Amino acid sequence: MNSKKRIPIIGLIAIAVVAAVFAAVTGCTKPAESEEVVIYVSEDQVFSEPILKDFEEETGIKVKAVYDTEETKSTGVMNRLIAEKDNPQADVYWANEPIRAELLKGKGISASYFSPNAEGIADIFKDPDGYWTGFSARARVFVVHKDVEDAPESVKAYVDPAWKEKGVIANPLYGTTTSEVAALFTLWGDEDATAFMEAMKENGTGIATSNGESSDLVAAREYDFSLVDSDDAVNRIRQGKDIKMVYPDQGEDEIGCMIVPNAVVFIEGAPHPDNAKILMDYLLSEETERKLAFADCAQIPLHAGVDKPDELKAIEDIKAMEVNYAEVAKKLDEIQPYLKEWVGY
Amino acid sequence: MAKRAILASVVIVLIVVGLLPAVYMTLKSVLVNGGISLEYYYEALATERIWLLIEHSVILSSVTTLLATVIGLGLGILLGKTDLPFRKPFTVLFTIPLLVPPYITAISWFNILGREGLVFRFFGPGTAQITTDWLFGLPGCILVLFSTFLPIVMLLTIAFLKTVDPRLEEAGRLFARWPYVIRRITIPSIYHGVLLGAMLVFLITMGELGVPTFLRFDVFPVESFVQFSAFYNFGAGTAAAIPLVVITFLFLVLERVFLREKTQILRPVPDGEKQLTIPLGFFRIPLFMLVGLFALLIVIAPFLVLLLQSLSVTAYAEAITKAGDSMLRSLSYAAIGATALTLIGFFCGYLIHNRAFPLWRSIDSMTIFLFALPATVIGIGLVSLWNHPLTGFIYATPAIIIFGYIAQFTAVNSRITATSLARIPTSMDEAAVVSGAGWFRRLTRITVPIARRGIAAGWIIAYILCLRDMGISMMVYPPGYDTLPVRTFTLMANGTTELIAALCIIMILATLVPLILLGAIFKLKPLAKYV
Repeated sequence: MNSKKRIPIIGLIAIAVVAAVFAAVTGCTKPAESEEVVIYVSEDQVFSEPILKDFEEETGIKVKAVYDTEETKSTGVMNRLIAEKDNPQADVYWANEPIRAELLKGKGISASYFSPNAEGIADIFKDPDGYWTGFSARARVFVVHKDVEDAPESVKAYVDPAWKEKGVIANPLYGTTTSEVAALFTLWGDEDATAFMEAMKENGTGIATSNGESSDLVAAREYDFSLVDSDDAVNRIRQGKDIKMVYPDQGEDEIGCMIVPNAVVFIEGAPHPDNAKILMDYLLSEETERKLAFADCAQIPLHAGVDKPDELKAIEDIKAMEVNYAEVAKKLDEIQPYLKEWVGY
Repeated sequence: MAKRAILASVVIVLIVVGLLPAVYMTLKSVLVNGGISLEYYYEALATERIWLLIEHSVILSSVTTLLATVIGLGLGILLGKTDLPFRKPFTVLFTIPLLVPPYITAISWFNILGREGLVFRFFGPGTAQITTDWLFGLPGCILVLFSTFLPIVMLLTIAFLKTVDPRLEEAGRLFARWPYVIRRITIPSIYHGVLLGAMLVFLITMGELGVPTFLRFDVFPVESFVQFSAFYNFGAGTAAAIPLVVITFLFLVLERVFLREKTQILRPVPDGEKQLTIPLGFFRIPLFMLVGLFALLIVIAPFLVLLLQSLSVTAYAEAITKAGDSMLRSLSYAAIGATALTLIGFFCGYLIHNRAFPLWRSIDSMTIFLFALPATVIGIGLVSLWNHPLTGFIYATPAIIIFGYIAQFTAVNSRITATSLARIPTSMDEAAVVSGAGWFRRLTRITVPIARRGIAAGWIIAYILCLRDMGISMMVYPPGYDTLPVRTFTLMANGTTELIAALCIIMILATLVPLILLGAIFKLKPLAKYV
């Protein structure tokens, strides 16, 4: 074999060796245990990463993160947490709603931790056994097109013939819409909630792939209103879109508006338990809540008195739906086959 | 002895890295509440919706394949056999969509036809609504997947045109014009190669989930996806993926019956005999303009819009800050993965080509089975099998990503090697045996040097596959060590349009620049010849 013929093969092997050395330097070297913490994150990376960077700068503890993608596009970190149960890699899970945290509790994947920074947060937003703690919440609100004069004020607008074919909702198989539907099942009972869902369908409610898309459909006046997360609404209001935000069911006899806090979870058998607790305390601090309120995700602080942008109501000014998230998680599991059928899967 | 030991080692690696995770997941799909049950399989096939999804998948795959085959064949002939101006730049241009993840192409089209895209700016909301409705659904999926996979048929056509005996065409030209010769001699001569391309397009489109999900057209892979993402049910998710594997195997059987032997006996004509070139004459310039217009619509327009959207120093600065590390990691993982795949794929292809073991057909089927299996199934299988304290040196490091690449993509390098080896006359090996050369000496002195360009081309194809992979990487990357496609995807949730566009352009450059450099260094012949 002449040397010219050898060049490609030798060259390719050389590239692999260089790449392997690079990967070894960047990927395989592990800092000492005390210097790092591993977190799996379901909150959008654009919002969560700056918080974690600040944590690194302030504490000197290196954060290694695995981020989720939008739920409808990925199987995400929940599957990893479940598959890794017997040998956990994560120390902390930052869930973007408490239902997943309850699911992990049920599967024995999380452990109890009561953070001192959780003291000012209302009990309804915390697991009584310490398996998750809520912070920085979204509210489930209506986005209504600006030209709609009498905006709907209750989720029951979806079944009101006056709003026939004017409402849209994100696919209830995923995310916060699933949680809200499950919450309604726990509040109203299976029979009434099923009747509500069927009436919703008969009333010509549109189904979108996500809350973001629902909001855009309303902004484009393809529908008059949609139940979405407050961050989707605030985002589009800041972009100057023709929508307004309405907190539903705020009347005295009404069920209130569902609040969906982020939830921080301590993982059972966490490899770096001490750093995990430092990170959890940091996430549950008032300062983190303030940052998340002023970020584009515009999340509502759960500590009273924390600074917030004007578009948001303070948590104490919102009539919150009184739900037990553990019951919601259990109900969600029960109604998944029905929801699958309802959506048409 | 050395031959058997090396080949056996490769088979063992494939079984451990690829088959065991798949078997583990399959077991999960039949173990329900502690007993053996086919409940998940009944559930997966019991609803009417499943058959609707299968129908959607078959329609999408069939139309995409038909368009890619007809237009790919025409383009392949124009670029591979005529005197059309700028044939090589056109070939590179049409190949670009194949080099990037299809969801990036989908985003590009969304930026043109979407509700607030280019059409909206130039033609107003009414027209934008029509194009949006058109994009989100079957037509949009066909557009994106057709433009992505068109190069497969085009490149295979160009490659197989080199195998047509010019004497036959010359004989035909004695009594007929070129169109007749193409119809009656050229196309029938490359018929099996084109069908091979069509089959590849059909199979890849059948397994595609990202584009149909983005463009809201429900296809069959969504069923498995829902089981994983909404129900966290690993067993049901695996059961729902099995029909895809069955369809793949049906195609594999068809390939074995109708194509395999015939495609492998095709040989490039000896160097002395030059391929005939079709003079386009009067049609040269009109056809050039037609191909140019087609390139403008299918390739240039979407990627130009992406480029224009990204043209902001801030966007690139933010993209480099947020994803610079991920890009470097992606490049190194892809280089390592491609080398591992080339090595394992070479021996696997050698084994299949030479039928070195009695079970060679099973090994071929195993690699195809793994290629067809959804990345989620392989990913969760890898997590379940390798996440133990004793194997932390693999699971907690990027090695697990390389394992994933090997599990999913070995079939590609194996097939490329088998095709490359089929071009080497057996007489050369036989002559070396007679003169007393051992297996390893024959391999390193005869087989590898002759097949070297095919091996190098296989490395490049593996590099592209690894670099653009998201399914496997997303499921197994160690905390803090994500890849560029994964980071792009995770930043898409609420990231700015400029940032996402800049990340997509970086992704395209990260694929193209190393390939151009390698091509310049090694002076590789066009990849098409070895696909």
